[in-house]
Amino acid sequence: MRIHRGSMAYDLGRMLEALSVLLFASLLIPFVWQEWWAIPSLVCSGVLPLGLGYILTHRFEHSGDSGRLHGMMIAASGWFLVALFGSLPFFLLAWTAQLDPGLLGVPQRYTTPGTQAFGTLGVFRHPINGVFESMSGFTGTGLTMAVHENTLPRTLQWWRSFIEWVGGVGVIVLTTAILARPGSGSLTLYESEARSEKIHPSIVTTVRTIWWIFLLFTFFSILLLWLAGMPIWDSINHAMTGLATGGFSITDSSIGTYNSSIIDFTLIPIMLLGSIAFPVHYLILQGDLKNFYRDLQTRWVFIFFGTGTIVLTAVLFRQGLYQTATVSIAGVTLHGTLATLIQSFRYGLFQFVSAASCTGFQTANSLGSEWAPQAQLTVAAGMVVGAAAGSTVGGIKLIRLLTLLKGTLFRIRGIFYPSSAIRTFRLDGRALSGTEASQEFEEAAIITVLWLVFLAIAAFVLLVVLPIGSGTDAYTVENVLFEVASAQGNVGLSTGITGPWMPSVTKVLFIFNMWIGRLEIIPVLVLLRSLFVYRGVYHR
Amino acid sequence: MRLDSIPVLGPLFGAGADDHVFDLLLLSGPLIICVIGFLHRSFVSFVLALSYAAGFVAYIGYRYTTMS
Repeated sequence: MRIHRGSMAYDLGRMLEALSVLLFASLLIPFVWQEWWAIPSLVCSGVLPLGLGYILTHRFEHSGDSGRLHGMMIAASGWFLVALFGSLPFFLLAWTAQLDPGLLGVPQRYTTPGTQAFGTLGVFRHPINGVFESMSGFTGTGLTMAVHENTLPRTLQWWRSFIEWVGGVGVIVLTTAILARPGSGSLTLYESEARSEKIHPSIVTTVRTIWWIFLLFTFFSILLLWLAGMPIWDSINHAMTGLATGGFSITDSSIGTYNSSIIDFTLIPIMLLGSIAFPVHYLILQGDLKNFYRDLQTRWVFIFFGTGTIVLTAVLFRQGLYQTATVSIAGVTLHGTLATLIQSFRYGLFQFVSAASCTGFQTANSLGSEWAPQAQLTVAAGMVVGAAAGSTVGGIKLIRLLTLLKGTLFRIRGIFYPSSAIRTFRLDGRALSGTEASQEFEEAAIITVLWLVFLAIAAFVLLVVLPIGSGTDAYTVENVLFEVASAQGNVGLSTGITGPWMPSVTKVLFIFNMWIGRLEIIPVLVLLRSLFVYRGVYHR
Repeated sequence: MRLDSIPVLGPLFGAGADDHVFDLLLLSGPLIICVIGFLHRSFVSFVLALSYAAGFVAYIGYRYTTMS
């Protein structure tokens, strides 16, 4: 196998150029919030990828199209590079505050040891924390190294939300939209980023339409959240991260900070929008609302979210964690058992939708310490499965689960038919031949098995590295499984394991899990295998 | 001036649902957010945001009725 370094370098250069566009566009934020001291860091962060990107694209301009294998390698290495360079604002801003050059006028709260702001920004002086945050952002995970998000500079609050927003749709989708590549290379790359849906025959028009839909929904979501009572800056950030099903928040206790059932319920349709495939959105905007139930995946998104919510509500209600004397909804006050049931439903609905949509917003502060293991595992199941393929969610995806379930039933039923019988496997309105069915079944099985294997490996490492037991500083096995599923499913819900206090080995492991989770594992394995073969570490 | 001739954002407008109402919503969204930024939570900003959100939902409903 020959590695077409020129073709790879050219595409990686384009991705870095696209990243620099994001960084320069973000310069608007320090101007609006008058965080002048953040400007040099942001400019440097933009200049570096721009310079490297410019050199690569000009040096390898005539390198030709990349094939499927190289598409996967470009997607995997590109996402890693983007996360790496995307960590620069965290790193440079933290060091600007630390060095405090008098000329820049860094606010005192960031330069005074002992303050929350100093401590929160200070963790990013360690590059690994910045890379973690950046990878978490771009992959739409939402696990964070920031302890007090509300004390972060507005520039970093924005950068975290912005990279989740972009990462939700995809870095390659962004690159293709603004720096269209001639030839068939765009389609290859697009498919390597765990996307296959096409709205139009042209891939460039498809990705532009995806952005068009995403922008429109973002403005709608911002205004919806503001109408629900959120301040406008919070609405902008949470609409972006909610729609992208990312889950970064700019408040300490995520959405729980507002303690508002109106805001909780307003975020449900926003997270649902992010869980539905873009082609379905396009048809819905055309007025074809029947797709809400006619499209297999969309129909199952509602069924899965509904069932999960009922189960989680029942577990929470039985546990009695949200026992309350009264609860008011739209001016009506409920008492006793009914009030507790409604309160359990409020938290159950929000947390299950947040988990299964892979958003990771939290309204329940005590997922790790107070929630029953059954509740944690119900949420973990939601995180592992995820929602619709072709949306912004992570996880295995509902369509794969359905393929596996229907395929297994198809195989079992096949035993009762004579071997000469001609049978058709039907999936999502398509009639598949035996070979096609086997191919789809195999693809779903491979991804699912790989997903579970990497989940098990990461869980094993965590069980070795972290204190496990029943003490106050120890974690349970459920906590570990929950956290790993959250990282690999790009969800972001946490039982308290993730934070700057984590051992470095777990940070690196989670960076890897988030990376493979976003790209659906295979492109990363292809890249690693090619690198090992190339370096002579592994021989075929 | 055609929307798709606007530099940088032009191709984005050209790629949408080919519907001027949605294009208008896409253009007016950031403007309303700016207005909210300046006026904060006032009657004017509230009415603007509510009109936008209601208009968005109502227009999808309208397209559904005209389609079926």
